Amino acid sequence: MNSRCVILSGALAVAAGLLLLAHSARGQQGGTPAPTRTGSPATGHAQAQTTSPPDDEALRVEGEKRFHANCGRCHQSPHKFPPRMVMTIERHMRVRATLTDENMRLIVRYLTQ
Amino acid sequence: MLPVSLNSAVHARVRCAAVLLVLFIAPAVSAQSQDETVSSPADVSLPQISAVPIFSAGLAYNTFIQGGTPNLHPLVSPVILIPFGENWLIESRDTFEINLAPVPGENGYKGYLQKEVDYLQLDYIASRYFTITVGRFLTPFGVYNERLYPVWIRDLQSDPLILPISTGPSGAGTGAMVRGAIKATPKIEVNYATYFSTLSRDTPFDSDRDVGARAGIFLPGPRLEVGGSFQYLLEDQRSNAFGFHFAWQPPPLPLDIRAEYARSQNGSGYWIESAYRLSQLNVLHDALRRLQLVARMQQYYLGKVLDADLPQVNTNMFEFGMNYYIQDDFRFVTSYGRQFAPDGGNMNVWTLGVTYRLALPVGHGDVQ
Repeated sequence: MNSRCVILSGALAVAAGLLLLAHSARGQQGGTPAPTRTGSPATGHAQAQTTSPPDDEALRVEGEKRFHANCGRCHQSPHKFPPRMVMTIERHMRVRATLTDENMRLIVRYLTQ
Repeated sequence: MLPVSLNSAVHARVRCAAVLLVLFIAPAVSAQSQDETVSSPADVSLPQISAVPIFSAGLAYNTFIQGGTPNLHPLVSPVILIPFGENWLIESRDTFEINLAPVPGENGYKGYLQKEVDYLQLDYIASRYFTITVGRFLTPFGVYNERLYPVWIRDLQSDPLILPISTGPSGAGTGAMVRGAIKATPKIEVNYATYFSTLSRDTPFDSDRDVGARAGIFLPGPRLEVGGSFQYLLEDQRSNAFGFHFAWQPPPLPLDIRAEYARSQNGSGYWIESAYRLSQLNVLHDALRRLQLVARMQQYYLGKVLDADLPQVNTNMFEFGMNYYIQDDFRFVTSYGRQFAPDGGNMNVWTLGVTYRLALPVGHGDVQ
C-alpha cells in the first residue's frame, strides 16, 4: 500500500509540474510579442518590426538547428528527402517522437527549401 | 462481503487512473485553449506540397553467437505511411524475422518465420498540442520501445534486458492514445502520452489490458531529455509499474548517452548506453568519421512474478560495439558482450551484421 501511495504521489507531482509548465507557457505566449530574429536596433521603427515574420535566412538557420537537435535524439540526422516525402514524414515523426508543432514547421521548411 | 470490497478496490483504482489521465491531459487542453492567440515562429507557414504515401523498411542480417552457439537472424520490417486530409495519417509496421539455429545431429540451420504487427494505427492531429491515436500502437513506456527499437536506429542489436517490462506481450497495446508536445518556455519542451489498451490474445495482435502515461521534458539547448512512465495493469494480476528515461546529446560532441530504469511485479532493472561517433578526430578523419563506438551496461533483478520474456535469474551484462556507417541509414554493426548470471548463465555474446533502411514515395504529389 505504501509503495502504491508513493507511486500515485509521484505521478500527481509530475502532473502538477506539467500543469505549471503549461500555465507558464500560456503566460509567455500570450503576454509577450513574437521575438525578432533580425537583430535590428531598438528604435521606434524596429519596435514595429518585432511583430513581423522572421526572415527566410533566419528561419532556415533555425530549421537546421532544430533538425539536428530533434532528429539526432534518436538516430543519425538523415539526408534530405524529396519535399513530397517530407510532408508525410513530418506527420509520422510528430506522432512517433512527440515533436512540437513549432519544431516540425521549422524542420519541414528547412528540409523543403 | 468479499465481492463488495473487491469491487470497491477496483473502482477506487479505476478512479485513480482516470484522475491521472485527466491530469496528464490537462496541460495539453490548457495550452490548446491558447492556440488561436499564439504569435511566434510557430506560425511559420508550411509549403503547399501534398503529402504522399511512403513505403519504408528496416532490414537487418545479424549473426549472434551466444555461448558458442551461432544464430542467424534475418529481419525485414516494412513500414507503410498513408496520409490523407490535412491532419490524418495511417501508419503501420510489421516485422518478419527468422531465428536460424543449428539442430543437434543434423546439418545446417533451421528456424521458422515469426510475424508481428508492431503497430497499425490511425492518427488525427487535432491541434498543435494534441494528437489522437486509435488502433494498435507501440506502448509508450520508456522511450526505447517507441523510438529506438528499429534495427537501423538501435546502436546495439540486442534488446535491453528490461525491454519487456510493461510494454506488453509484443511491445504494443490495442486501444486509444492521446499524445503531444508543448513548448513550455523557449528553453523547455514538454511531451506526454496517455493510453488505454484492451486485452487481446489473438496473435499477432496480442496486447494487455492496461492504462498508462508517459511524460518527459526536453531541453533543446543542452539536448537533455528526462521523463517518467507509469502503467496500471487491469488484469488478474493488477499491479503498478513505473520507469524513468534519460537521454543527453551534448551539442559540442557526437555523443549519445541514454538510460532507462523500469520496475514492475515482473522485475526491475536498468540500462545505460553511450555511443560516440569518431567524426571529430583529426587522425584518419575520412575513415574514422564513419565509425561509432558503443558501450552498454545493464542489470536485471527478478520480481515476484516470472515473465517468460524476461531473464529467469538475476542478470548483469556489459556490451561493447562498433558501428561503421556507409550512409546515415546503411551500416555494418559488430559487438561483444559478456553476460553474468548464476547457474552457468555466464556467456559471451558476439554480434556481426548489417542494417539498412529504405524509404520510397508512392505517388507524385502536387506542389502549389
